[in-house]
Amino acid sequence: MAEGYVEYRGLKKSFGATPILHGIDLKIDEGAFVVLVGPSGCGKSTLLRMTAGLEGVTEGQIRIAGNVVNRVHASKRGIAMVFQSYALYPHMSVNENLAFSLKMRKAPLERITDAIKGAAGILQLSPLLERLPAQLSGGQRQRVAMGRALVREPAVFLFDEPLSNLDAKLRVEMRAEIKALHQRLATTTIYVTHDQIEAMTMADTVVVMHDGRIEQVGEPLAIYDRPENLFVADFLGSPAMNLLDGKVVATDFADQPRAVEVTDGVLLPIPSEAEAEVGQSVVYGIRPEHVQLVAPDAGEPVTMTLVEPAGWETHLHADLKGISLRILSVERVGAKPGDKAAILIDPERVHLFDRATGRRL
Amino acid sequence: MSLSAVRDEPAPTAAERVSDAARLTVPYLLVVPGLLFVLGVLGYAVAGGFWLSLHETDMFMAKTFVGLQNYIDVFNDPRFQSSLWRTIVFVIMSIVLGIMMSMIFALTLYHVGFGKRFFRGMSLVPYFVSGIAAAIMFRFVFTTSGGFVNQVLSVLGLHQPSWLGDPVLAFIVAVLANCWFMVPFATLILLGGLQTVDRDIYDAATIDGAGAVQTFFKITIPMIKPMLGVSLIWVSYISFSTFDIILALTAGGPQRATEVVSMYMYQLAFLQLDFGQGAVLMVVLLTFNTVLSLVYIYYFILADRRHGREL
Ligand SMILES: Nc1ncnc2c1ncn2[C@@H]1O[C@H](COP(=O)(O)OP(=O)(O)O)[C@@H](O)[C@H]1O
Ligand SMILES: [Mg+2]
Repeated sequence: MAEGYVEYRGLKKSFGATPILHGIDLKIDEGAFVVLVGPSGCGKSTLLRMTAGLEGVTEGQIRIAGNVVNRVHASKRGIAMVFQSYALYPHMSVNENLAFSLKMRKAPLERITDAIKGAAGILQLSPLLERLPAQLSGGQRQRVAMGRALVREPAVFLFDEPLSNLDAKLRVEMRAEIKALHQRLATTTIYVTHDQIEAMTMADTVVVMHDGRIEQVGEPLAIYDRPENLFVADFLGSPAMNLLDGKVVATDFADQPRAVEVTDGVLLPIPSEAEAEVGQSVVYGIRPEHVQLVAPDAGEPVTMTLVEPAGWETHLHADLKGISLRILSVERVGAKPGDKAAILIDPERVHLFDRATGRRL
Repeated sequence: MSLSAVRDEPAPTAAERVSDAARLTVPYLLVVPGLLFVLGVLGYAVAGGFWLSLHETDMFMAKTFVGLQNYIDVFNDPRFQSSLWRTIVFVIMSIVLGIMMSMIFALTLYHVGFGKRFFRGMSLVPYFVSGIAAAIMFRFVFTTSGGFVNQVLSVLGLHQPSWLGDPVLAFIVAVLANCWFMVPFATLILLGGLQTVDRDIYDAATIDGAGAVQTFFKITIPMIKPMLGVSLIWVSYISFSTFDIILALTAGGPQRATEVVSMYMYQLAFLQLDFGQGAVLMVVLLTFNTVLSLVYIYYFILADRRHGREL
């Protein structure tokens, strides 16, 4: 099997006696944009800081460009990191911030000037070079932080939640800017976020982490369409996937010999290829946008309980014999709480999980 | 949206305006009594001292106005001149040694993991000991026969100097005692500064390839410059004004080797009862302290690039 450009092999990390990462195996291709996503505290930053050389390795290997870098100093790994706090040197002008790493490397002056000019051009920092960080807006600081990473011409960019301190509008802009930068430079990038929108929109490959483990690796849409376990199913998607406890039962229909009974008398269809046995306890998953609202007699009857029009889409909550369902409609739905309606579910859109193991069936 | 938001905002009621005004002024009002008290006492003492420096007093405390005559006498007094030079050397040595020690202690305390609180607490102990007590301790330590240092030297079979009998050594011991007294507080000030530095900045510097020494001089020092300024003010002030430590340690001896301005002031005012000339020395010390503090404030505190302010 080919080597990844950045590769983790059986990587473990403990702080004192507390294990934080339990064995990370991952290959990252050269030029890829990989997003590590997971809830806060799952160990994303720790993994990134280990890659940067800011945290030691408890067990296992980190490889960059084919070399084990476990014991290589942070400044010699060919990485550059952008921090959530930006971590600009507050007493240095933008110019000095950008120049610092090159000065530490004793780079010749023209090389420093050229690098700063290049980075400033790409990131539109030229008019800001003489300013101090305190005199910059959040977005400008963010760009300086990226510029500081850029001048080092790293083999790998590491980003740790770089957009969390920006307001929503700026975040969307910077998201596009970072992505454009990657398309231009094609530098291998590892990007940490807890924001699934960032993960979905920016990544070539999403790595979903949870409790110090990798839950699933794949292209964003592939993961979205085929979550391998309950955690991933629940974590990705907003509003979150409906996850209903149920039991597989046999039906009288020839074309649908099995269904899942989610509550007394309510049978929901499942994909024909699902490897579930009759009698098995399962979790029945259906995304809110895949629950189709139809006229009262045309499907499983529900009662609307909450309607939230967002303008471009409508979030609805419906009661299905005591079970609360989230429904997402891209249309403006005229329903009001208390209205009767019915739902239809396309079995091909259903995700079925084993209730005991949480694995996809 | 913002337009209508502005329009919809109700005008503040009278009560709201009053409470806004109160919110802004009450903190200042609360500071005023303390400020008046400090300024009053300080101002009275300074003004009184200055006034006194323009007078001749006799042993019955009767004052005669003499203008600047006391200043002329003092500046022409060779004993004053040498005490002033001595003070300047004493202050410079104390600042260099004191700030270096404070910095080393602050960095150590910043990095100790085990028993952090204990060590931080311990570092305050010298601050609670009076200067006199500190000096007496130093006398025990540096006594020629039976002092701790000489006992150690004798065990090692080394020469045992007469620490407080030799002019140069006594001066050095006085500097050490002064440092012992003032370093803990300066350490706490610097430690406070260190703790305000975002750790990410150190991480960024590590990735940027700055070694320990470069990080210290190019990151740490500029980042704690205001705190460095405050501790410099403290250390300079204590060293210029030091009196009790030297009085109890050497009383200005041997052969006036440790007679700094404050010691000579004591001599003039309280032993020779020449209050006018003593007051001149007070004015001299005050001037030095003030000028130096202003210099520190200007260079270390006001000009703080971290807040976008440059010189
Ligand atoms: N230096 C440290 N010492 C002890 N525990 C730490 C340290 N850094 C992180 N942790 C712990 O490791 C876990 C993972 O942290 P982190 O990698 O920052 O999570 P994330 O970035 O995914 O939010 C957390 O429980 C955190 O408390
Ligand atoms: Mg984190």
